[in-house]
Amino acid sequence: MAEKDNNSVSLTINGREISVPKGTTILEAAKQLGIYIPTFCWHPKLKPAGACRICYVEIEKMPKLMVSCATPVAPGMIVHTESEKVKQGRRAVLEFTLINHPLDCPTCDKGGECDLQDLTFRHGVDQSRFDFDKYRFIRDKKSTFDDFRLGPEIIRNQNRCILCYKCVRANTEIFGEDDLGAFQRGNITEIDTPPGRQVDSLYSGNLVEICPVGALTNTDWRYKIRVWNTQTVNSICPYHADGANIKIWKDRQNVFRVTSRRNDAIDEGWLSDVTRYGYQIAKPEGRLLNPLMKKGGSQVAVTWEEALSAIARKFKDIKDNKGGVCIGGMISPQLDCTSVYAFSKFFRTIIHSNNVDFRTEYRMLPEIPEDMYSRMASQEFSIADIEKADLIIVLDSDIIKEHPNVNLRIRKAITQKGARLYTLNPVETKTGALSVDEMVFRVGTLEALLNGVCAGLVEAGLASKKGDTSALKKCLEPNTVKDAAQISGISEERIKAFTLAVAHAQKPCLIAGEWLTESSMREKLAGAVHNLALLGSLYEKGQIGLLARAANSKGAKKLGALPHPGPGMIEKMKQTWGEYPDVPGLASDRMIRASVKQELDALFIVGVNPMLTMPDGQFVREGLEKLDFLVVADLYESETTQMADVVLPLSSWAEYGDRFVNLEGRVQEFQDAIKPLGQSRPGYLIVNDLAAQLKSPLFSEKSKFADEVDTFLNEDSVMPVPETLVEVRFMEDKINPEFPTPMLVVDEEHHFGHWTEKTKSLSVFCGEAAVEISSALAEKIGVVNGDIIRIESEVGKVNLPARISETIDAEVILVYRNFSASPVNILQMRKRRVDRVKITRVES
Amino acid sequence: MEKKILTKYIDDPAQIDIDTFMAHGGYKAWEKVLKSMKPEQVIDEVKKSGVRGRGGAGFPAGMKWSFVPKDNPKPKYLVCNADESEPGTCKDRVLMERDPHSIVEGMAIAAFAIQSHLAFIYIRGEFAYPAQMMEKAVREAYAKKILGKNIFGSGYNLDMIVHTGGGAYICGEETSLLNSLEGERGMSRIRPPFPAVEGLYGCPTVVNNVETLACVPHVINNGAEWYSSMGTEKSKGSKLFSLSGHIKKPGNYELELGTPLSVLINDLGGGMLDGHNLKAIIPGGSSTPFLKPEQINVKLDYESLAEAGSMLGSGAVIVISDRTCMVWVIERLIHFYKHESCGKCTPCREGTGWLEQVISRIEHGQGMPGDLEKIESLCENILGRTVCPLGDAAVMPIQSSLKLFRDEWAYHIEHHRCMVKTEFAFN
Repeated sequence: MAEKDNNSVSLTINGREISVPKGTTILEAAKQLGIYIPTFCWHPKLKPAGACRICYVEIEKMPKLMVSCATPVAPGMIVHTESEKVKQGRRAVLEFTLINHPLDCPTCDKGGECDLQDLTFRHGVDQSRFDFDKYRFIRDKKSTFDDFRLGPEIIRNQNRCILCYKCVRANTEIFGEDDLGAFQRGNITEIDTPPGRQVDSLYSGNLVEICPVGALTNTDWRYKIRVWNTQTVNSICPYHADGANIKIWKDRQNVFRVTSRRNDAIDEGWLSDVTRYGYQIAKPEGRLLNPLMKKGGSQVAVTWEEALSAIARKFKDIKDNKGGVCIGGMISPQLDCTSVYAFSKFFRTIIHSNNVDFRTEYRMLPEIPEDMYSRMASQEFSIADIEKADLIIVLDSDIIKEHPNVNLRIRKAITQKGARLYTLNPVETKTGALSVDEMVFRVGTLEALLNGVCAGLVEAGLASKKGDTSALKKCLEPNTVKDAAQISGISEERIKAFTLAVAHAQKPCLIAGEWLTESSMREKLAGAVHNLALLGSLYEKGQIGLLARAANSKGAKKLGALPHPGPGMIEKMKQTWGEYPDVPGLASDRMIRASVKQELDALFIVGVNPMLTMPDGQFVREGLEKLDFLVVADLYESETTQMADVVLPLSSWAEYGDRFVNLEGRVQEFQDAIKPLGQSRPGYLIVNDLAAQLKSPLFSEKSKFADEVDTFLNEDSVMPVPETLVEVRFMEDKINPEFPTPMLVVDEEHHFGHWTEKTKSLSVFCGEAAVEISSALAEKIGVVNGDIIRIESEVGKVNLPARISETIDAEVILVYRNFSASPVNILQMRKRRVDRVKITRVES
Repeated sequence: MEKKILTKYIDDPAQIDIDTFMAHGGYKAWEKVLKSMKPEQVIDEVKKSGVRGRGGAGFPAGMKWSFVPKDNPKPKYLVCNADESEPGTCKDRVLMERDPHSIVEGMAIAAFAIQSHLAFIYIRGEFAYPAQMMEKAVREAYAKKILGKNIFGSGYNLDMIVHTGGGAYICGEETSLLNSLEGERGMSRIRPPFPAVEGLYGCPTVVNNVETLACVPHVINNGAEWYSSMGTEKSKGSKLFSLSGHIKKPGNYELELGTPLSVLINDLGGGMLDGHNLKAIIPGGSSTPFLKPEQINVKLDYESLAEAGSMLGSGAVIVISDRTCMVWVIERLIHFYKHESCGKCTPCREGTGWLEQVISRIEHGQGMPGDLEKIESLCENILGRTVCPLGDAAVMPIQSSLKLFRDEWAYHIEHHRCMVKTEFAFN
């Protein structure tokens, strides 16, 4: 057998020859041949531990049994996986593994999907020679069945643990957490948290999923159902734009849990807890289950027919008397492609209005079709390619909170592939701790800093020849490293060091997040990123991602759920529909303003809660109050539904099948797990029913309509970027000295959007809004963890409990949005770039 | 009879001071190496001398050093394994307590040989006094600029750090030691990769025993030929033996390798305690198989002991008298190994616990028919099946005891009591 090249090794397993790359383990080689070797402690994404010893194989000329998971192949090796010696070794390991195992399978939630059960069955170990009492771990005398809570969701039963250490290994190797470890020694080793800690990281649920036995279970799944009474359907995470692939476990009409459906291009089998537990929105608790209509000042239950005809009547009335432009629509980017497309088509062809928008958390600006931001955001981006990068730049993003799987891929690139990370953020972040240099710039000066890097490239003679560097002085302000350092607060040395890193990178990867996307300066910031990409040859050498935020943000954009979808898209809409309203469109903030000015009469809001998310909550309230007619479709009652004339029950994604487009532009299908709860309906059905009442239905068969959606999804959406520098002039933010502290608005790590607050599991991780504050700032105003801080801005005030952060050093505060009890959007001013507030301690 | 090379000055209380040490010729070898030798020459010299690892495995030291890749751009580390915890062994302790500078010097030369600029001494947690002595020695060496920057004007830099462990037998195993040194839990790593390629912090690392390193200056000062003129064909030089048990004069003795065991026990050790007769000998630390009285003339060297069915190991000779129950001895030992099993791999973790339960019940008169066969079977399921040698160490004395003293085990099960009631039992 000839070696193919120096990097491949030929060996024989069970008489079959195979050639594999050098460094492959025997286990992996056997897998390629379809030869099964049992494992407990092996995991495809973890370094081998060789701990459980169940994967023994016999190698000719080697006296000992070898563990296949950790033994690399060698040329000419002759391996046996089913010899008598191997079988004896396996049985011995199983016997050892079982001696102190409680065999409480009848009450164990892992029963039916337990590796220990399956292997014991398979290898016929039906008798034990162990005739002593089994060792019992009892941590807490009060608890039953030796269970002990390790974190908000995780429960440990040490007696069932077979010490494969997968949980501890994944927690440190993959997630970089230190909240779980092994304690004691030998056969009384326990998996536990360090004193005073709990397992509550964003990825904690994975530890339960990879446990081969019932040692780690979660409250979500425990004692609810036996696994063999469930079925699974394939689905997609309905929150983050990463688009993690999941399985929903369900019976006829109930959902029970979500587990991963490993897709190496996206998630590698790791899910964030938001993805894992956020499925609980498909449970009936608290859900809107029938339409409501305002009658005599209060909302009362009505039939769909009554609700729909009332809406149709009102919309028709407004349209006929004032014109369709007096009606607007906002839709959630967490809704599927069909719903988003139907919504846009409904407004444009039936209402004759372009007032359609999926962005309700942004600070808006007058829209320019095919603006710089859209061009940059349309560039191709691949999550898997992050690990090929040697330089990763993250800017304006607390990436772990926005994109948990992108965050893990960045971690992998750094810890396993040797990539170097630079973060450019207005505040310290968890991911930033892994960086070569965590550049925390003065809030609102990112474009100055980026200009400085561009200037650094030119000053050092390292700029790409493609960019016309002579334009630098004309287009950029500041345009020297020195000035940029002055403005941003990042020293010249650090800017220059970063400049060198950019210039010398072979495969750079730049990622920008929501602080850029949602900023009123996003156009300027996108321009600054473009200039850097041009001068640093990022376009040619690597990839740039101005990342979409929600599960279907990219889809909503591709399907034109925007007031100005761009000339190309408008043309396509005209062709497809035979019409397109020749009227200006309003973005979400303009719709509110139009309503305040009494230029807009009705709003149709699907799946969003602008009362909690749109900047300047007080203004939003005024706008919604002044509307003549408000229709809101949502999963739960919200501040916005409470103001509605008609409330429609919306189905969650698990209740119908459709598609999401992830941040890479990957169109991913999800299946229906259960039927719509109560009388709720999917977004596209609500829109279609309304269309039918007003004129004619948009579709009679969804599959045919999906083909129409496809023609839009299949459009190549990458827009060219200019080949010259664009103008980026920094303007100092005006500061009212009364409100000195910059404030950043984020979702809490365990929350996403306004639905997760209603789910049981995620509320246990974090049940209320809080303000993250540095210990220095906390000390300055005299608060300790948990104290209440009053936050006042020029337009509103809110009291929030303090969460003193170990990571934050900067003089900024981070507040959590999407908590009904403490709406932080009322602090935000519409026209400001940076929110600034005054913080004081509230005396108790 | 004794060959005092490493222990030449250990009875001089002033030897712990650097001035006395230097007056006795200390740090001459280090100076010679820095001023006139290349790393390869040092490795060659040590290779030629035939110095073998004194921690237990007996791997040639020079060979181990030569495995460190020269083209690897990562930093290289030298670690001195001072986690002496094999029951019966107390030789490294004496060197550290009484002649700490000799270890510093040996480490310095070894570090130079592998071109390491940072060396660690990992000392078991219980060794508070030896750690103090090592710290004092390192401090004094820095003060004399024998460690630090530009040593002896050669341009060579070397830093040395004394680190104490938490007190775990497993941390004497080199990969567990490295984990512990990195601040991780003391658990063995799978090999390959071997430490010489990927050791401390993923960098090439050599781990050597205290005694091994202490030999090095003597090899450099006197030449490989001088060193290899001592000992046998394959076991060169001298070795420290820690003699304990039912013996009149227990203690550390340095002997030329190849010296008969009887010389150590009868001539140096003064023979058995009065009223005691020799029953068994553990020749190389608690993990090595027993020798019978008729094997007392075996030569103390790696090959001869292997031929006799045991191992030279760490050189801890434990003498057991006929007034000792062999089941009791094994119960003590298996309790130790079960307690020290790190918990990583299944056969060792579960097997040692199970073995302890079975052996303990036999010792306490509750053994059952079939227990001996069960013990043998469990031993087979552990031996050679674990990540590190702790599993082997735990079962080898058991297997040996069952083979050599099976009648005592059978008696226990049949009569529910010891054949010989153990005296001097410190239960």
